[in-house]
Parts: sequence; C-alpha cells; structure tokens
Amino acid sequence: MDPATMKLLAVGLAASLGLMGPALAIGLIGYSALQGLARNPEAGGRIQTAMILVTAFAEAIGIYALIIALILAFV
Amino acid sequence: MSGQGRRILSSRSIFFVSIAILLAVGFFLPFERHKPAIHLPAAEVFNIAGFPISNSVIATWVTMAVLLVIGILVTRRMKLVPGRLQAAFEMLLGMCYGLCESIAGEKWGRKFFPIVVTIFLFVLFNAWLSLFPGFGSLEVFTGEHEVELLRGANTDINTPLAIALISFFCVEFFGLRAHGVRYLSEFFNFGPLFRSIGQIITGKVKSGLNGLVTGFILLFVGILELFSHFVRILSFTLRLFGNMTAGEILILIVVFLVPFTVVTVFYGLELFVGFIQALIFSILTLVFLTLATAHHGE
Repeated sequence: MDPATMKLLAVGLAASLGLMGPALAIGLIGYSALQGLARNPEAGGRIQTAMILVTAFAEAIGIYALIIALILAFV
Repeated sequence: MSGQGRRILSSRSIFFVSIAILLAVGFFLPFERHKPAIHLPAAEVFNIAGFPISNSVIATWVTMAVLLVIGILVTRRMKLVPGRLQAAFEMLLGMCYGLCESIAGEKWGRKFFPIVVTIFLFVLFNAWLSLFPGFGSLEVFTGEHEVELLRGANTDINTPLAIALISFFCVEFFGLRAHGVRYLSEFFNFGPLFRSIGQIITGKVKSGLNGLVTGFILLFVGILELFSHFVRILSFTLRLFGNMTAGEILILIVVFLVPFTVVTVFYGLELFVGFIQALIFSILTLVFLTLATAHHGE
C-alpha cells in the first residue's frame, strides 16, 4: 500500500472508530433522559440542562477523533 | 375553486420550472469547477509591524462591531416603560439571567452573569455571522495569492483557545476570591499527610499509618483535580473548534455534491449547532464557576 492510500484509510478509520463510542454514549444519555422525563415530567427543565451538559462531555471525545481525522486529511 | 387552483398552480409551477431549468443549466454548463480547498490554519491578510492579522481576526472584529451596534441600538433610548425592541431584549436577558441564577444561586449568579452572557453572545454571533451568504466569498489579493477576507472566527483554533483561557482564568480567579488561599488546598492537599506523619512521630503509630495511606490518596486526588482543570482548556478549545470546522466542511461538501437545494437543510442544522455550542460553552463555564465557588465539605 502506498502512503496516500494508507492516509485515506487512516482518515476513515479515525473518524469511524472514534465516533462509535460517543454515538453510543449520546444514545444512552438520550435514553436515560427520556426515561427520567417520562417518570417525572415536572423536572423537565433541569433534566434538559443536565442532558445537554453531559452530551457535551460525550461529544467532546468524538470531536477529538474528528480533529485527528481533519488534521490527517488536510494538513 | 378550479380557477383558484389553476392560479396557484401556474404561479408555483413557473417558480419550480424556472428553478429546475436553472439547476439543469448549472449542471451542464461547462464551467470550470474548482475543487473546494480547506485550510485549517487561518490565512494572513495583512500585518501590522510584523504582527500578522489573519482573516479570522477580521471576522471577530466584525462580530464585535455587530454586537456593539445591536447594544447601542437597543439601549439608546431606554425607558421605564419599554418599547417593543427594548421589551424583547429585556425578556431575552431575563431568561438568561433566570438560567444563570438557577444554576449559580442568587449571590454568585449576579457576578457570573456578565462573563457567561458575553461568552454566549460572542460564540453565537461568530457562528451565525459566518453563515451569512457572501461571508466567505469576499477575497482580497495579498501580494502573492488571493485569500478570503473573512473566515468564521470559531474555525480558527486560536479564537476558541482564547475564550477557553478567559474562562479558565475567570474560574480560578473567582475560586480564589471565594475561598482565599484555602482554594489552593483543593489541589495541593498536604494537610492530612503531614498530620499523619506527625502522629507517627509522636507515637500514635497505628492511626498514623492509617492516615498515611489516606493522606497519599488525598494528595493524588488533589493532583488529579489540578490536572482536570487544565484539561478543561483543551476540551473547551477542541469542542468548539471541531464542531465549527466540521460544520463548515460539511456545508462545503454538500454544496459541491448537490448545489442549491439540499444545503438549506444543513444551514438549518448549522444554525442549531452554533446555538448549542454557544450554550454549552457558556453553561459549562457557569457550572465550573459554581463548582469553584461552592463550599467544600470540610
């Protein structure tokens, strides 16, 4: 395999493998937040704020993988 | 009934047929198509005495000018009984203040409000102004080659880094102000360790040895806490930069895949992402500020 092919492969793998975990995490966060909302609709506002916060933490990890892919692809 | 239907049909059909013709012409005309070029470092437009001014810096100036103009327009004729514009902005700021107070409490909420809302507005307007049509289309000639005059400020890694550093220093400043020097004992927790060493020396060996283990653990936890504060800068920076850059690249790629039509959906998505990122940046800052000023359980 020549280096250019390897680089393309690395970009794809970095993005796809790295985004799997955060995708699962965000799904789990949404799942539990909706469950909490269904059981206790009055706490909607606080659940939403906490959900967005925790989603941001989970998403940050995906963004690291994305940045590695971007740097591999364009720099 | 049928006449009305025909009229709507005719005006709408003319619109859609003309758009379809334009699209078809656009697809088949032999225009030279440039491959979209993506530059991660921002390009330098000009320099003041060797100090480079990049296009993202100019974009932040535009953002600041827009925010200033909005602020002056809204507060120019303030009345006790607000007019329509003033009432709208009072309601918006009231909502922000309510959120701030509900997280940080009444005493600190008032102090954190300006920092948090400034970060929110700056990030939000950086993101939204770069979605304006024509924002990235202006180009200037700088000696050797053409560069874009404006570029979304959040897509240059230095802007998120600067905001993250401001947020970090604000957190540490307010932590020190709330607790004094004792704030540092959260990170350098030597107290329990020295106390247990003292116990060993004075003869209480058994409780001293137990305390020694706890002391080492507390010391380690403190160092981890210190480390986590610095990691926040990195995560703030990369989150905003990555989201915004990925958004720009997404729009660029979609424009080149399907011109004109599908990109509207992604513009809507980017508006939403810009709002969410601004919200996350400001709320996280607010939460960290609240954590730093909260009473430690001692």
